[in-house]
Amino acid sequence: MFQEIIAFLALGIAVIYLFKKFILKKKKKDKDCGGGDCGCH
Amino acid sequence: MIHQNINVALIGNPNVGKTSVFNQLTGLNQQVGNYPGITVEKKIGFCKLPHNIKANILDLPGTYSLNASSIDENVVIELLLNKNDKLYPDVALVVTDVENLKRNLLLFTQIKDLEIPTILVINMADRMESKGISLDIPYLEEQLKTKIALISSRKSQGIEELKNLIVTYKSISAEPCLNASIIDKEYFNNLQKAFPDQLLYKLWLVITQDVNFLNLERKEIQGPFTKSHTELKRLQQQETIKRYQFINDVLKVGLAVDSSVAKDFRSKLDRVLTHKFWGYIIFFVILFVIFQSIFDWSSVPMDFIDSTFATLSTMAAEHLPEGILTDLISQGIIPGIGGILIFIPQIAFLFLFISILEESGYMSRVVFIMDKIMRRFGLSGKSVVPLISGTACAIPAIMATRNIENWKERLITILVTPFTTCSARLPVYAIIIALVIPNHRVLGFLNLQGLTLMLLYLLGFGMAIFSAYVLNKVMKISGKTFFVVEMPNYKLPLFKNVAINVIEKTKAFISGAGKIILAISIILWFLASYGPGEKFKNAETIISTQANNHSLSKTEINNRIAAFKLENSYIGIMGKTIEPVISPLGYDWKIGIAIISSFAAREVFVGTLATIYSVGGTDNETTIKNKMESEIHPITGAKIFNFASGISLLLFYAFALQCASTLAITKKETNSWKWPLGQLIFMSSFAYITALIAFQILK
Repeated sequence: MFQEIIAFLALGIAVIYLFKKFILKKKKKDKDCGGGDCGCH
Repeated sequence: MIHQNINVALIGNPNVGKTSVFNQLTGLNQQVGNYPGITVEKKIGFCKLPHNIKANILDLPGTYSLNASSIDENVVIELLLNKNDKLYPDVALVVTDVENLKRNLLLFTQIKDLEIPTILVINMADRMESKGISLDIPYLEEQLKTKIALISSRKSQGIEELKNLIVTYKSISAEPCLNASIIDKEYFNNLQKAFPDQLLYKLWLVITQDVNFLNLERKEIQGPFTKSHTELKRLQQQETIKRYQFINDVLKVGLAVDSSVAKDFRSKLDRVLTHKFWGYIIFFVILFVIFQSIFDWSSVPMDFIDSTFATLSTMAAEHLPEGILTDLISQGIIPGIGGILIFIPQIAFLFLFISILEESGYMSRVVFIMDKIMRRFGLSGKSVVPLISGTACAIPAIMATRNIENWKERLITILVTPFTTCSARLPVYAIIIALVIPNHRVLGFLNLQGLTLMLLYLLGFGMAIFSAYVLNKVMKISGKTFFVVEMPNYKLPLFKNVAINVIEKTKAFISGAGKIILAISIILWFLASYGPGEKFKNAETIISTQANNHSLSKTEINNRIAAFKLENSYIGIMGKTIEPVISPLGYDWKIGIAIISSFAAREVFVGTLATIYSVGGTDNETTIKNKMESEIHPITGAKIFNFASGISLLLFYAFALQCASTLAITKKETNSWKWPLGQLIFMSSFAYITALIAFQILK
């Protein structure tokens, strides 16, 4: 039973980690680029 | 005891040894990150100075002047203009090369005019004697209103003196070298009158540069003083001329070069290494030696790591209490992690060679000779840097395209860079080559495996150039950007710099891919160990009944049960569903699962197979390589990893865009899903078709 709890906990952490890494990516707040060409086309 | 923290900014032109100075000051006390909101690398290190002062050393991107033309250079200006930035320097160290002092001093005078206490660090001082250079340091200090540190970062000379000088930063003059008003008296006087509290040179930068200024209202300054683009350019040129006039006057007295002493070793070597025929031959010989060595030298440590993980897995299964967690550890986690750590030797050797080439100054010559080829295919020389740095990873390589001014050239470079063989492909290539290419030597020195690896690298680079050529024809690029490459002096690579680079890159490879592989290994193990329906539940009964009809040993029965369970597990069902699509390429469903999971990161391929084979494998084979080697097709009885399927897999990975992060960065850099999706569809289709043709011909 103890082993099952730990194993399924590891599974949950792994799923959440990958979900956060590839699906819920943190959106960084970009600074204002100004008027010219800063490369943010 | 009072501790004081100060900020020290390291600024300088590219190739003046700035990173060497950074490494000398900080050792391994470094943190690498990104500037907020942008993806320019930010390196901060920590250094203990005399009198209990601690310094945060910020290694800023290399820049030729404060007239920014790329996002990297903007970072430098933004920091130097924003006193509210927590990293705003208490003192700036402008690193220069003793042989290029005149050009390097342009940036120095600009930094000085921002009234930041500035120390002039003259690097590579150990070469002064052989080059016949002598400096009048007191005179230079007086004229440039600064303190000078004469150092050799390569030979660790003058570093302690530099540290002692940094702690005296409060006594260093912040007086500017030039009065900005000499550029255009009337214009600058009016500007100063309108903003009497602001520094004149800072105002000028606000008007001319496209950077963020947190404490200045750009529109307020720009509005009344806006000039046409041409007029502003004219004034910038005027500024550069005035600065060089000043620098020439100072160096006329402060610097003397006895040309009869100088040895012309560099130009002799350059003539050979950048020769239009021998230059390429030498480059290919060097590449050849590198790839031969990668295979030869890393085989022993790789076998050691592989067998260690195999032993660990067996030990975990034997010694831990029986149960699901033990199975997860021994069949999922350990083989999965082993599947990535096994490649540390090859990754480390690859970066060792790349670092040596960079440190020695040879890489700039490679960029120079490759530029000639690139132009024939319609790309600018600036595309060479991303394509070459793509051998490490496509992500920073795509970011490196930001200094390409022409948008279409930049877009093409972004789209073709993922063809370059990145380090994540190396594990896949290495294991497949080891399985399907014989470890033979031809003519006594030509290792076939090393040669195959080199051909794959050339194939990736060739495909990138060919795709660029096609895209160039289709997209019709208008206008050209010009490419200037710095040719640094040849140097013996500094062990410390090479070591730091290898350690950092290898660490990034392991930590970047390691977490993903660990997570995927856990999930895969569950998917391979559980299944829906009666078949999975009753696997033992079904196989035992079958076994009664054929006299099978206990081991054989157990192996059959494991294989049957795996086939009817969740992952088995998923794999069987996609099998019809991939079987024409010579792959079975297990390879199909590995290909899908390796879309997160290519390195996951080997870890995935290691996990799948551990769950459903035989007891006889323990190492990853042996497991893969002994895998046979259940119907044909032929080896799964044979020459035809191996070549097909190599070609698939050479061309396919198996990297979620590359898609994400392409989306970010192009600000559209159109380009990354087009890239994904084209690369995947091309990879599929090539792999299909290869297998069908070779089978």
